[in-house]
Amino acid sequence: MIRRFVLKRLLTGALQMLGLTLAVFFLVRMLPADPVSRLVGLNASPEAYKQAQRSLGLDEPVMTQLLNYLGIGSDSGLLQGDLDVSWVTNAPVLAEIGASLPITLELLTYSFAVTLLFAVPVGVASAANPGKAVDKFVFFYGLFGGSQPEFWWGLLFVLIFFANLGIAPAPLGMISPLLQAPPRVTGFYTLDALIAGDFRAFFDILHHLMLPVLTMVFVLSGPVIKMVRQSMIRAQASDFVLYANAAGLRRKTVTRYAMRAAIAPTITLVGILYGVMLGGAVLVESVFSLGGIGQYAVRSVLAFDYPSIQGIVLVITAISLLIYLLLDILYAIIDPRVVYT
Amino acid sequence: MSLLDTSPAGAAPLPRKERRTASALLIFAIIFAGGSLILACFGEMIVPFDPVDSAFIPNMPPPPLRDWPGLLWVAITSTSPEPIHWFGTDSSGFDVFSRVLCAPRIDLTIALAANFLAMLIGIPFGLVAGYFTNPATEFMMRVSDVIQSFPVFISAMILVALGGQSAINVIMALSLLYAPIYVRLTRSEAMAQKSRGMVEASRAIGQSELRIALQHVLPNSIGPSLVQSSVTIGFAILLTAGLSFVGAGVRPPDPEWGLMISTGANDIVLGQWWTSVFPGVAISLTVFSFAVIGDALQRRYDR
Repeated sequence: MIRRFVLKRLLTGALQMLGLTLAVFFLVRMLPADPVSRLVGLNASPEAYKQAQRSLGLDEPVMTQLLNYLGIGSDSGLLQGDLDVSWVTNAPVLAEIGASLPITLELLTYSFAVTLLFAVPVGVASAANPGKAVDKFVFFYGLFGGSQPEFWWGLLFVLIFFANLGIAPAPLGMISPLLQAPPRVTGFYTLDALIAGDFRAFFDILHHLMLPVLTMVFVLSGPVIKMVRQSMIRAQASDFVLYANAAGLRRKTVTRYAMRAAIAPTITLVGILYGVMLGGAVLVESVFSLGGIGQYAVRSVLAFDYPSIQGIVLVITAISLLIYLLLDILYAIIDPRVVYT
Repeated sequence: MSLLDTSPAGAAPLPRKERRTASALLIFAIIFAGGSLILACFGEMIVPFDPVDSAFIPNMPPPPLRDWPGLLWVAITSTSPEPIHWFGTDSSGFDVFSRVLCAPRIDLTIALAANFLAMLIGIPFGLVAGYFTNPATEFMMRVSDVIQSFPVFISAMILVALGGQSAINVIMALSLLYAPIYVRLTRSEAMAQKSRGMVEASRAIGQSELRIALQHVLPNSIGPSLVQSSVTIGFAILLTAGLSFVGAGVRPPDPEWGLMISTGANDIVLGQWWTSVFPGVAISLTVFSFAVIGDALQRRYDR
């Protein structure tokens, strides 16, 4: 049953990806941007313009361009797992995404881990003490944290912790320019440093991740705390908690039961936020010059680099769809009341 | 996948004390959001300096806090020969105070217009898709799904940067990306209304389907969208500012909060905090106000 469910989801996911590919492909070509003149400059001679247009393949009819991109009738394309080469750097888009995506994933994973460590206890405490100070704080923060310009808070943290207190490094990347980056194995900086056994680099990377993670946690905690609180209140009002209380179980045990029921919606929210933040971490990445996929997206969009833009949107959407699928499977494991159809 | 209802709708009712804090907060939010709306209309008339005209003293810090009462007195009695740079000046010599107060003209106009357009597109589509179920409306929903599966910020960046960086294009991009929210909300509400007695009754007295949809289903399906709009306006402000922060939104020297923070970002490392801190406080409080109002509406109308 679960295998059929997964297969069905993967199939609809593939169809959705195809629709998305077509949508992005035609969208970038419909918008009135001129990538050729962005590349050769406005003062280029008509011949140079023509030549650049030919080398980018933009002189062909749109349908031919599409077939080439998809890899139908040509030897390399999307269907063969090739995302074309960037118009700006001439490097394969897949390789560029492979270099930048792990940085974003690393930032997000640490941020969500810290967010959960902070949000779950606070949310549970708030649900257990309705109307008390902690509950008021949660009500306020749930609204506040979720509606803040994260890039500005990032800058504010830089101002406080770097410019004034001097306890954070300059917001200029993942590692101090004086240190050598660990040899690339996984693409995740902290993991690579551990694999290389370079603890100096490892702690320096953590030091550099301190403020970006703080910024992310600051904005992400709002909705997560709110969700933990709501789910806890809901679970505490449910029949099985009433029964557990009536049966005279200890308070700790009952809280554990309630938490188990409350954790499922929280995990769903975290998963969805993770998917959203893949493309939404752009601003924090820019503030701290981390070089993740968001910054790669900014660079590609501003340079009208169509193959990179298409590749980024595809990869981000594919990962979010996979996360949603994993969530649904995980949900069934946590909550036995879930039924697949 | 379907859930055996593990999620009853709506939050638990607030305890009494919390309700009081909520309403104090709500009053603040309404005053602040209202104030920013007034500034959007009249900001340019009341500011002491032209927001895009250099005062020729770049990077001037704001006057120290202890001088403010005296300066305020001078400003009120207008015995000062020169207007005061309350928030200092930025690296181009623009007056930060005037720019912060003029920015709602751009930020709020974009956010309100984008939200209004998104409702204008989304609600009719949602109504039709909810009231009439046929292959055409099914297809519409799939299109809406595809739009919703786009990564929002990156798509907005693509639409604005490739479409031409202007306020109009930011509005168009945001309304396209936010329309599916209203399609979904209206559709699910319209589907619920469809089976109500009044619809059957109108049909029995021979009203046309279109008339039933417009006269009876639409007014009853629009509520959740109106409640949602305050939250969407807040997010639209954040997105507008974010776009210009990465250089894919409105262009300098327009007074816009995100743009001001972006130009101020370089000064921060040098300790010149005022160019980015003041516009940031403005966005922070404005969006927070819209979130508080949205939350209050949700509590009031979602039962």
